[in-house]
Amino acid sequence: MKGLGFLEETILLLVIIMDGDAYGYSISEAYQEHTGKSITLSAIHAVLSRLEKKGLVNSFMGGATSERGGRRKRIFKATAEGVAIINDIRDGRQKLWDLMPDL
Amino acid sequence: MSNPPNPPKWANRFLIWFCSEELLEEIQGDLYEAFYFRSKQKGLRFARRKFILDVLQFFKPYAFEKYSRAKQFLPMFKNYFKIAVRNILHRKSFTTINLLGLTIGVTAIMLISIYLNHENTYDLSIPDSDRIYRLMNNYRDQTYTPMFFEDYYQSEQATQMKLINYLESQEEVEVACHFVTSHSSIGSNDKYYIKVENQQFEAGDVLFTNTGNRFQSVFPQEILSGDPNSMFEGYNKIILTDKLAKKWFGNDWQNETLIGQQMIIQEEIFEFSGVIAKQVDNIHFDFDWIILQDRIPSWAAYTYFKTNENQLANTVVSRLNQEINTIYPGHTDDVLQKGIIHIALTDIHFTEDTLYELKPIANKSYLLSFGIIGLVILLIILTNYTNLSVAMYADRQKELAMRRVLGARPLDISLQLLIEAVLLSMICLPICGLVIWLVLPFFSELMAIQLDQSLLFQLNTISLLFGLLVLTGILSGLYPALVYGRRSLLKLFGSKNSSKVTQKHFNFTNTVLTIQFVMVIGLLSITFFIYQQMEYVKNKDLGYEKEGVIFFGVNGLEKYNLLKEELLTLSEIEAVGTNVIPGMEMYNQLTYKMKDTEEVFSDGTMIEMNLGTIETLKLKCPACDQLRAGKANVFVINKTAAQKLAKVKGVKEEELIGEVIIAEPEWENEEHGNGYPKLIGGIVEDFDYFSLKYESQPLLIDINREAQWAFVMLVRANTNNWSSTIAKIRKAYTGIEKDLPFDMSFLDDHLNQLYTNESRAGILMGLLSLVVIILALVGLIGVVSYIAYNRQKEIGIRKVLGASVMDILINFNKEFLVLIGIATLLALPASTYLAYQWLENFAFRIDPQWWVVPIAGAFASVLVIVLVSARVRNAAFKHPIEVLKAE
Repeated sequence: MKGLGFLEETILLLVIIMDGDAYGYSISEAYQEHTGKSITLSAIHAVLSRLEKKGLVNSFMGGATSERGGRRKRIFKATAEGVAIINDIRDGRQKLWDLMPDL
Repeated sequence: MSNPPNPPKWANRFLIWFCSEELLEEIQGDLYEAFYFRSKQKGLRFARRKFILDVLQFFKPYAFEKYSRAKQFLPMFKNYFKIAVRNILHRKSFTTINLLGLTIGVTAIMLISIYLNHENTYDLSIPDSDRIYRLMNNYRDQTYTPMFFEDYYQSEQATQMKLINYLESQEEVEVACHFVTSHSSIGSNDKYYIKVENQQFEAGDVLFTNTGNRFQSVFPQEILSGDPNSMFEGYNKIILTDKLAKKWFGNDWQNETLIGQQMIIQEEIFEFSGVIAKQVDNIHFDFDWIILQDRIPSWAAYTYFKTNENQLANTVVSRLNQEINTIYPGHTDDVLQKGIIHIALTDIHFTEDTLYELKPIANKSYLLSFGIIGLVILLIILTNYTNLSVAMYADRQKELAMRRVLGARPLDISLQLLIEAVLLSMICLPICGLVIWLVLPFFSELMAIQLDQSLLFQLNTISLLFGLLVLTGILSGLYPALVYGRRSLLKLFGSKNSSKVTQKHFNFTNTVLTIQFVMVIGLLSITFFIYQQMEYVKNKDLGYEKEGVIFFGVNGLEKYNLLKEELLTLSEIEAVGTNVIPGMEMYNQLTYKMKDTEEVFSDGTMIEMNLGTIETLKLKCPACDQLRAGKANVFVINKTAAQKLAKVKGVKEEELIGEVIIAEPEWENEEHGNGYPKLIGGIVEDFDYFSLKYESQPLLIDINREAQWAFVMLVRANTNNWSSTIAKIRKAYTGIEKDLPFDMSFLDDHLNQLYTNESRAGILMGLLSLVVIILALVGLIGVVSYIAYNRQKEIGIRKVLGASVMDILINFNKEFLVLIGIATLLALPASTYLAYQWLENFAFRIDPQWWVVPIAGAFASVLVIVLVSARVRNAAFKHPIEVLKAE
């Protein structure tokens, strides 16, 4: 359960960063903005639903806007477990980085 | 206010269709938002295109998760499947009947298509079959399939090769070859003794060629053993097919060191150079072994050429016709030569009216009618299957209604019914496979073709069978699926409204039933006509006596005379004669005219025989008394010739005796000037020298008292014990002839073989009508059961009102008998017309009697009455209370 793919990790991070404003379209925009790579909406949705299944994020239906034709957003928030796993990953990486010789 | 730009409607609708409701809002919202910003930043077109792409990318299992259709469908499918299996097991009689009908029908269709495929792919297995042509020769009014050699029998090897060399010198031609098979009309028809070390074998069916390598490149044979580079090279070599190799040396022939061994045929030494695989059956020539010789032992040969790619055979042949005199000097001086033509390899099997064709050609109208019957059987299966399932669901309406109440949608009901139909037809798949596997050997024997059982495992056979069954399942399940799926709950529960539907369905069924009855009656009648004609052909007075005569090849006059002397000492031998075997396919005809008249006929057939032949065949020939009185030779004509000539001359037929006929008047010779003059010594009654497919032909008959030459011996014996007589004849023969095996046939067998194509068609027709009858009965069972069920109440009320069981049965039967009546009326013109068409094949034929059709109708009626009564009986015997209480 705890294994995270690269895309899952990135998007989980984005969800945490965007803190309460993370939903499909906004994440795709943020992803593009921060990584410079484009991503399809369906990929984002698939990843989000996987994360939700793993219990790393949860979601609720948020407000509607006129751009969405009056449809509500599904807002994603990281769970405690989600935040913990991101920290774990970072710590793990940090340990490796600490071992890195100066080049 | 202008409308904001919208994303493409269809894509949106598609999204709504596939996307689960739970996810729809957020996904659609995201897509709309993306669309909104994109259209602002990068324009409407870009946004629309992106929207469509996005929608398509959402079309993934993920998007239809949770309430997704696929997830919903799979467990339901399991459920459908389970119910289908239960139903099939529950209704054993229905299932059995249905499977029976389906199996028989599908098997028949499969066999027909296998047969049609076999015939229609003739010669197609030869590589580059579209570039191979055969030369043929127009001579007089006839087309000869082999090409004549310049000096006929006397041609030297160099002469025989002239045409081949010419063809190969043409730039369009890649390669040319020629051959003769021993069992063709221009072959010797002999069998040969082959001595290998201490063993002696016997074999016929040999292919002679002096263009071995070229033969191999036009008709590549699969080499099993031997050196591919040299085995077809040179002369005095023998190549066996594996069929013969197995027969002679056993199944392990490959273990023996055979290649290079000497084989001796008639004291000539041949080298055994290899083994090839026996050719497939659907090639227009056939052989068991090959002899490579410097000379082809015949007066003509079947000549083929293969063009280079993208080259036309036309140009080769038209140039050949212009330059023929450079190949055969003086060729066009013969006014009877009417030019050389060519035929595409793949057309050979379908070209009628040529002389000396190597194999019987396909009769296109037979193929067409088999195909049509196959299609009709398919239609019958479909309607039968539909009828049966409609009938089966009639008493399942309540079950379906309960399903609806419990929440099944119309679509679920339809799917359920469709799956049951397909499942049932799939059960047939292994059964059909097994039946075809079992029947195929009999079928191929019946049709005289070689079909291997391995055919069944070929991809196209399997996919045809599979496709046929799936198609049957779907098409026939569709009707009940739509009818019952859409029917309202009320209708399903109550039976009040169903009578209306019954009525409607019944009319559709009536039409189907009538068509089936027409088929049954029509096919029965036609089968009878064919049978009648075949009997007629077998029993017709031929003008000679065919019973008690055998014939076999003899090698020359000297041996004939020795054998004759010896045979006539046997008490049971009545007469022996030469050379004439009646019951021929038409062969080369000659021209003739009366002396001192102008009109030349080109339809004469010259026969040479001796007095012995007349006596062996018991021909009526008054003029032959002159021979018995000691005259050496008499020339007679038959009545058909006499009638023609008498008309020209303006005299009575008998006044022709003593007049002179000129045979082949175009032929200039020093002795007689033009043609051969012949003094008419008598007129004989017509006898059927040719197959009864042809009219009586004018015959010019030269009768010698003593045989002048001999290649065939006819023997008439008066014996009850043919095997001992034949043993005696064989003993006498082998005592005189050491080189050629004894190979005899009965004359009446030989005559029957003339009509094998027709009698085969007759048998197949008979079998197919049996199939159609069974299918019709199966269909009828479905219909009757359905009606009986739907009219239970009517029956009950009738009984309450005093009707007896008999009355009810009569009532039911009446309706079907009316249909049979109509069908008989329809079948009458159709079947007699078709019978006339078929009988056109024969010059001598029966007159199809119209009353055969009503008799077939009566036969069908009997079957129907038995079946309907058996089926309705249950309903009629039921106590009225049981059926009337139901509501």
